[in-house]
Amino acid sequence: MQSSIMIVCEQSEGHILAVTHELLTCADFLAAESCAGTTAVLPGNIADVEPLPGANLLVINSPTLREYTGEGWEKAVLLAAEQIKPDIIIIAHTSSGYDYAPRVAARLDGGCITSVTGVELSPQGVRYIRSGFHGKLEMLYSSGKSPLVITVLPGAFKGAAKPAPPGNITYMDADIQLQQTSELHFKTADQTNAELEVADVVIAAGKGIGKVENLELIRQMAARFKHSAIAGSRVVCDNGWLEYNAQVGMTGKTVTPLLYVACGISGSMQHIAGMKDSKTIVSINRDPDAAIFKHSDICIIEDLEKFIPVFLQQEEGSAV
Amino acid sequence: MKILVCIKQVPDPESKPRINEANNWAHYGDKVSYWINRYDEHAVEEALRIKEKIPATRIDIVSIGPQRVKTSIRRCLEMGADQGFHLCYDSEDYLSPTIKSRLIAEFCRKRNYDLILTGVMSEDMMSGQTGPMIAARLGIPSAASVMELEIKEEKTSLRIERELDAGHRCSMELKLPALAAIQSGINRPRYPSLSHVLRAKNLIIEEIECSIPDAVYENIAALRETSSDREGLILEGTTQEKAARLWQLLHEKSLL
Repeated sequence: MQSSIMIVCEQSEGHILAVTHELLTCADFLAAESCAGTTAVLPGNIADVEPLPGANLLVINSPTLREYTGEGWEKAVLLAAEQIKPDIIIIAHTSSGYDYAPRVAARLDGGCITSVTGVELSPQGVRYIRSGFHGKLEMLYSSGKSPLVITVLPGAFKGAAKPAPPGNITYMDADIQLQQTSELHFKTADQTNAELEVADVVIAAGKGIGKVENLELIRQMAARFKHSAIAGSRVVCDNGWLEYNAQVGMTGKTVTPLLYVACGISGSMQHIAGMKDSKTIVSINRDPDAAIFKHSDICIIEDLEKFIPVFLQQEEGSAV
Repeated sequence: MKILVCIKQVPDPESKPRINEANNWAHYGDKVSYWINRYDEHAVEEALRIKEKIPATRIDIVSIGPQRVKTSIRRCLEMGADQGFHLCYDSEDYLSPTIKSRLIAEFCRKRNYDLILTGVMSEDMMSGQTGPMIAARLGIPSAASVMELEIKEEKTSLRIERELDAGHRCSMELKLPALAAIQSGINRPRYPSLSHVLRAKNLIIEEIECSIPDAVYENIAALRETSSDREGLILEGTTQEKAARLWQLLHEKSLL
C-alpha cells in the first residue's frame, strides 16, 4: 500500500521559513523507503507563494490563520490530514510546533515522537532517533500507531533536499473560527548582547557551577582570552545569575565562536542546539557520563571549582 | 478555582542509566535520588500564587509511577497544595507520554478542573508531549512554554504569555477550563514552610489503580549510548597535569 507523508511548513508573515526545507529533507528520506508522496501544508492567509521542490503544496487560507495560534493551527492541520490521510506528519520542533503537534497526535489518536534528531534505516524498518535520559542515551523508535506525528529539531536535517521539479500549489479557503483563543498580542524582545554575539571565545556556565559566587571563576577565565564573553545555560538565567540575553540554547542564542568552554553544563539537546557549531568545544564537568562530553573536542572530568583556579595559575606561570 | 498540577519525578541528572537486556529501556539503580521535575515545580508554585490571589482555590497534585513518586507528591503538599493523587504504575518500565496523557485525562474527566498546569517538558526526556495531549484529549485549549499567567477577574478566562523563539513573547486569552505548560523562569519555587510540612504529615495521598491501555503509540526499538560527534579527547592525570595540557592545546590552536 502506498503511504503518504505530510509536512507542515513553518511560515512567518506568509513567507515559508528555511526550516521547512529541513522537513522536506526528512520527508525525502522517508519517502525513498516507502515510495510515498509528500504533501506540504501551509496554514496562513496567503494569496501567492513560491512552489516547493518535490512536494505538492496545500495552502489553507483563513483570516484567523494570519498569525500562529495553537487552536488555529490544530484545526488547519486536522483539516488537511482529513484530506491527505497521511501515515506520517512532520512538524518543526519550534515554539509553535511543540505547542500544537502533540495535540494533533492526540486528536488523531496516533503516535507522537518529539525533537527527532535523525532517521535511519534498520533491517526492521525506519528508526526515528531522539535524545533521552538527560541526553545520555539515544532512543530509536519504530513507527508505532498510525498516523505518526514527529517534530524535528531545527538544524538536525541540514543539507539541501534532493533537487526536484516544483510541485503543484492548491489554495483552499477554510472557515476556521477561534472559539477558545482571543486577544493575541506579540512582543518583540530586545535580547541583544553584542559582546556575546561577536565573541571569539565564549565561557559558559551551567547549573554545575553550584552557586552564583562561582560566576567569578567564569569571569576570570574569560578574562584570559581576547574577544571573549560569558554565557549561561537556561538554569543559570532562570536563577537570575545571568540575564536572559546571555542564554545559549534553543530558547536563547545560537553562537559559533572559535572556542566554547562549557563549565558545569550537562548538555541537554536544548543547550547543544545553541552551540554545536562552535569551532572548538571544551567541557569541564565532574560527571564522566555528562552528555556534553559527546559534543566536545576536549573533555575535562573535574570539579570546575577546583580545576579553573589551577588552570588560571597555569596560564600565569607559563606566560612568564 | 479548582486546579490540578501534574508532576513527574525525575532521577538525578548525574546518575547513570543502564540499558536493559531487551535493549528497549534503561534503569537506574536503587541508590539514585529522585526529585520533582524542575519545570513541574514551577507549575506548583504558579498554582500556589493563584491560590494566594483567589483564596477559594483548591490545588490537587497528580503523578503516575511506582511508590517512590509519593515523596514528590508529598513535597508538593508541603509547599501548600491541598490533595495528592498517585496513579499507581508499579514498574520502572517505559510508559509513553501518550499513555500517560490518556490516564491523566481519564482521571480529570469526573473532577472538573478549571485549570490544569504541567511543566513544559521533563528534564530527563524533554518530550513536552504529556501536557498538550491531556488538553487535546479533554477538548480544552492549551499553551506551551508559559512565562506569565493570570486568571481574569470574571474567572472564565486566563491570560497567558508564551515564550516564542529568540526570546520573543506572545500573549493571549484562553477560555477556561484550559491547560498551561509552564516554562522555567516564570517564578522562584518556594521552600515548604514548617506549618505546611506539619499539615502535610496528616494528609493522605489517594492511590488510584490505573489500567494501562493496550495500544502501542510509540515503540522504542532500541537504545544506545549517545554517539560522539567530536574528537572527545579526555585529558588524563592530576588536576595540575590536565590544566597544563589544556593550556598547551589551546595555545597550539592559537586560542590563548
